[in-house]
Amino acid sequence: MSQRQKDLAFDSIIYFLLFCILMGTLYPFYYVLIISFNKGTDSLLGGIYLWPRSFTLENYATFLSDPQWFKALFVTVARTVTGTFLGVMFTCLVAYGLSHKELLLSKVYFTIIIFAMYFSGGLIPYYVVLRSLGLLNSFGVYIIPSMLSTFFLLIAISFFREIPAELKESAFMDGANEFVIFYKIILPVSLPLLATMALFMGVGQWNAWLDSAYFVQSDGLRTLTFRMMEIINKSNIPIESIGAASSASGVTNYSLQVTSMVVSIAPIVCVYPFLQKYFVKGIMLGSVKG
Amino acid sequence: MNLETTVSKTLTARGQTFFWKRFKKQWPLHVFVGLGMVFLLIFAYTPMFGIIMAFKDYTIVTGIQGIFTSNWVGLKYFDEFVNDYRFIEIVRNTLALSFLKLIFTFPAPILFAILLNEVKNMAFKRLVQTVSYLPHFISWVVVVGIAFSFFSTDIGIVNNLMVKLGIIDKPLDILIGANYFWGLAVGSAVWKEMGWWTIIFLASIAGINPALYEAAQIDGAGRLSRILNITFPGIKGTIVVVLILAIGSIIGGGIGGSNFDQAYLLGNDINNSTSEIVQTYAFKVGLADGRFSYAAAIDLIQSVISVILIFSSNYIAKRVSGSSLF
Repeated sequence: MSQRQKDLAFDSIIYFLLFCILMGTLYPFYYVLIISFNKGTDSLLGGIYLWPRSFTLENYATFLSDPQWFKALFVTVARTVTGTFLGVMFTCLVAYGLSHKELLLSKVYFTIIIFAMYFSGGLIPYYVVLRSLGLLNSFGVYIIPSMLSTFFLLIAISFFREIPAELKESAFMDGANEFVIFYKIILPVSLPLLATMALFMGVGQWNAWLDSAYFVQSDGLRTLTFRMMEIINKSNIPIESIGAASSASGVTNYSLQVTSMVVSIAPIVCVYPFLQKYFVKGIMLGSVKG
Repeated sequence: MNLETTVSKTLTARGQTFFWKRFKKQWPLHVFVGLGMVFLLIFAYTPMFGIIMAFKDYTIVTGIQGIFTSNWVGLKYFDEFVNDYRFIEIVRNTLALSFLKLIFTFPAPILFAILLNEVKNMAFKRLVQTVSYLPHFISWVVVVGIAFSFFSTDIGIVNNLMVKLGIIDKPLDILIGANYFWGLAVGSAVWKEMGWWTIIFLASIAGINPALYEAAQIDGAGRLSRILNITFPGIKGTIVVVLILAIGSIIGGGIGGSNFDQAYLLGNDINNSTSEIVQTYAFKVGLADGRFSYAAAIDLIQSVISVILIFSSNYIAKRVSGSSLF
């Protein structure tokens, strides 16, 4: 075999393998999407691979008109928006204080932070703390415990340290206090940082499932991931229940499950182009700094 | 009184007033930082102190104070766990899942990055890369839902297709069979996280001096030999760093996503004999059955093992290759 032929064979193998990976990653999403647009009772017959066989919007209509799903979607959006906003603001405020190089006691502060990064009390004592604070079974349990991220705290500190000191000094001359400097000067020049943090914290909030399953009991506080978990478990065990139509229109538990999955994936795919711009930097920092 | 002590005393006194002067000037900053410290005290340090409940007879109704006022029972709960009839099975499952995930999720992104690096068509390369990160951002709950669509016995398309093609006579119970759980968990971990960890290896490959490849080509080295002799050694440092990360967090799931999420969401009553791991067991015993001290003891054993793993993998890496995390 000549060098050229060898190269060609080598390339073919590589392109083939990568094409398989591409399809293996993409197809599951595509499949879920087409099933969500297919009539529920028809999907149970199988044999759908490339496009919907019996196109319908009934699954989405049922999903959105079902108060339980709608409420779950509302709670999830609410926790994502508030949780992300407060998380970013609070983490940045603390980071701003710590970013001053002449800050007294900073060694003590940093020791406290690093220790908290490496050691944790585990879930059980954490649950006891949440219970004593009265956070169990409240919307606050989604927001308050995730207000400070030690990981992003360290990233924000190094970001704020790069901001030229002159910016602050001129504001000081004009009589601005630290808080005014923080939100009028520091935050506006830190948009790339804020965007990165908001995207990661937002995705975390949107995808969280454990808190809704174990720290909350009331029906009105359940999130989308929790309802999804519930319906997957329902479809998983007895065969009959998969076919049990929840309405006359041919909507099934399974078609609702798939629809909820698409609703959960869609916003992530929408913010994905923005995510991508920032996350490469994020993972590099995270891995190198531990 | 000799001169030295007088001098040092006045210096300390001056140092103190100096400290307070500066502190007064910075006080708003200390308020910001202080809020963060209060947060950590409540949500990170109180639970850490709360771990002593593993050595006590604690009941949840006594609240936080109960952790301190309840009776010491020493190692009673640790004994109980070691003598639990499920102890061996649960420890085996935890170790099996952790190591199997390490064996498969660690090399996969390295190989994937090397494959991607060999692609000359930039548009195709970017497409594959972009798509491959996507599963990382999807909730494990959705991943389990996707697994259901593909592997369930009645509507899973993989099962349907295999039966249709005559590869198997009847559908495999991949989702609920105990024999399939580890494979299912490892497979879904690779599917979800491989693309994400490729980022770091690709960045590392990009840092290799291109002159090395040109020189090798002139010397007549084929593509495979360039991969083995240039690309691979070039990213050795990164491989070690990621390996330390992966081993240090192996009990939690390493770089293959959370073991807890996987075992909890993919586990069920039928595959329980292979899917129950220490974390899910502690969780169920603690929060579902209300045996808080027992669960805390189980959790503590696992945390101690994790901390030992983090520090020892770091130490070994430092000795072997000179790169380490801290």
